[in-house]
Amino acid sequence: MTPLLNAFACLLALACALFLWRKGSSPYRNGALLAGFLLLFSVFTYFGAAESLATDPALEHYPFRMLALCLCLSTASLPLYRRRYLVLAQVLWLWIELFGGIALYYRGFDVAWTRIAAVAGLAFGSTFLSRISREMEFCLMVLWLAVWVFF
Amino acid sequence: MYRFLMLVGLVLFLPGACALGYSVFQGPSSWMTDARTFWGTPISLFVFWIGLAHAGTLISAIFLALDIKLDRRTALIAELSTLASLVIAAVFPLVHLGIVENFYMVAPLLDVRGIFANIRSPLVWDFCCIAVYAALSLLFFATHLKARRNPTLEKYCKPMAWLLFPLVLWVHTVVSLDFATTFVPEWRGAFFPVYFITGAIFSGLALVNLLLCAEGYRVRLLERLQLICSWILCAIWAWEFMLKGSFCASAFIFAGLLPQLRMVAFIRESKWGRMAISASVLLGLFLERQFLVSPEFGSPAMASFGWVDWGMLAFSAGTFMLVFFGMLLLLKRFMEVDGSYFGEVDGRDIAEVEEAEHKDSPVRLGVEKTKKGFYVHPWSSEEYHVLRLPLLLGIAFALLFSLWVWGRMPFENVDLSLANVIPLFYPVVALVTAVALYARAYFVEKAFALHRIEKILAASVLVLAGTCAGAFYAGGASERGAARDVLSENPENRDLPVQTWNARCATCHGSDGKFNEKFVREFYPVPQKLDLLRLDSLGEDSLVNVILKGRVNMNAYEGRLTYSDALGLVRYMRSLAEKEVANDSAP
Repeated sequence: MTPLLNAFACLLALACALFLWRKGSSPYRNGALLAGFLLLFSVFTYFGAAESLATDPALEHYPFRMLALCLCLSTASLPLYRRRYLVLAQVLWLWIELFGGIALYYRGFDVAWTRIAAVAGLAFGSTFLSRISREMEFCLMVLWLAVWVFF
Repeated sequence: MYRFLMLVGLVLFLPGACALGYSVFQGPSSWMTDARTFWGTPISLFVFWIGLAHAGTLISAIFLALDIKLDRRTALIAELSTLASLVIAAVFPLVHLGIVENFYMVAPLLDVRGIFANIRSPLVWDFCCIAVYAALSLLFFATHLKARRNPTLEKYCKPMAWLLFPLVLWVHTVVSLDFATTFVPEWRGAFFPVYFITGAIFSGLALVNLLLCAEGYRVRLLERLQLICSWILCAIWAWEFMLKGSFCASAFIFAGLLPQLRMVAFIRESKWGRMAISASVLLGLFLERQFLVSPEFGSPAMASFGWVDWGMLAFSAGTFMLVFFGMLLLLKRFMEVDGSYFGEVDGRDIAEVEEAEHKDSPVRLGVEKTKKGFYVHPWSSEEYHVLRLPLLLGIAFALLFSLWVWGRMPFENVDLSLANVIPLFYPVVALVTAVALYARAYFVEKAFALHRIEKILAASVLVLAGTCAGAFYAGGASERGAARDVLSENPENRDLPVQTWNARCATCHGSDGKFNEKFVREFYPVPQKLDLLRLDSLGEDSLVNVILKGRVNMNAYEGRLTYSDALGLVRYMRSLAEKEVANDSAP
């Protein structure tokens, strides 16, 4: 995956996040959107990294990482239980990164400890957040995107 | 009704138990085993039942932790199904081992028995996570059951739910790593943790929906979730197909397509229709596990699904029905009490009742009422206050355990990374936290008292756990008793060492005399590398003695092999080592 496509992936996740958890939306709608987004991210990864898909095992969980980022971004504007779901979405991201990394470690690849530490730090830090203002929402989104792009 | 279902269970259990006994006696050759992965039906059934065992914690604990309303009866049924499924899931890894009496090697005691244990093996994670999960699920179920008569226990339900929430996901993640950490092409997948968890949640929901149908009511919320899970799993299958080109059509039909029939009103509203959909999901996911564990499943090159495999399947279904409905019959009077919501449920009616209850209740700790609703201050929830000290103790204990692992002498020569230890971390935290939480509640806060029968039960469980821990620590004798099957008495047969080697030794030592790479990762202790230098330094007599008398985890073959058989094996080993040297020195 080239850096440009990697950056585009987080924009795609950001765009998809807009459609999740709309006020009054049914579980069916959100469930179908989640499945649809996962399919979309899979197709994106498949065509975006067609040549390196077979050789780069780090791409095996790439669509799931995109989905986790999408969930993180979508929780920032939840009306209720925002801090709880914001932390849970980051823990999901951490989970995918950590155990995906362990699976790859056993096959001889390095674990992305920097990224894991960054997500863990953000998740832990988020538990201290008091009332989340619009500025803080923006700040969190920038931090997540920075972790995605730079780590 | 329960008695009839138990009878059905018994009809399935009896022939199944015979097949299981035969498979334990005969070993891996009796069931369908994949030619490449060496895994077969027992592992498929283990993964299937451990997936089903997630229903209880998912539905009860996670819903409770996230404030999603569910009636008590459904939650207890789900928790009971977890316990029954765990009993069955625990049986199949033992069958799979082939050498059942060596089961004690999977405990994470490292080298304290004087035996080098392979801490890198995912099996050690499996054992720890599942054992802790079983203990905490039992504790959670007992608390939930007792809480209605002793309301002070309610305050421990939610902290326990938060403790179990990560644990349930951890357990199946670790099961998925058994696959994802290997070199089998079909199992490569850093996404396996999410894949397995989704499959487990899906199958757990299907089981609970099926059990609710047998109970004569339904929970629409769970049916909706089941349908949503089928969409997400289909998306994951699509990614797997893009990545590897493999696809299990029968699983897709039964667990992907047929559940969509829930959208048809007359099927959805019929009890038999709902049961058929849930049964279809369970069948589809069992086929998926079979396909996953044995990538060559269904191909002409592979052995067919024989009577032993059918027997094991019948055993698992029969045992589940016997244990689950038997326990339900026994605990029925504790599960149905005044105040529980029972009947057709979709979540909304319970929410209204609970909202009305909360209106009159005093403001909770750390909760502030606002114009929009309410606001909880960070680190101020009630469950956090209950859990913080035991959790701190749990984390401290887990850190000490990690340091102890690092300090053990054998690992100076082993590439032991953080990635090898992390999967054990949370189960240790959860276990110590739960023990500290309940010890404080019982001895310090005196939040509950145990009746005589409960004391006897608790003492029995503790004695059983202590006996198991002692057995794991002591291990078993490596020497065999009476001869079980003498392979041959004819030392003149020149093909015999090759046959014996391939039948008995190749699983650990490899058919070429090197390590069996997959086995080394899966089992332990790590088998000795039999290179020419080592063989010559030990000498024939010493090696024959090891084969006949056994050593460390090497089983004794005295009574099954004669001295000349063992000598033939030693010479065959040497010829393999010579071949390796010749290959290495070849240009």
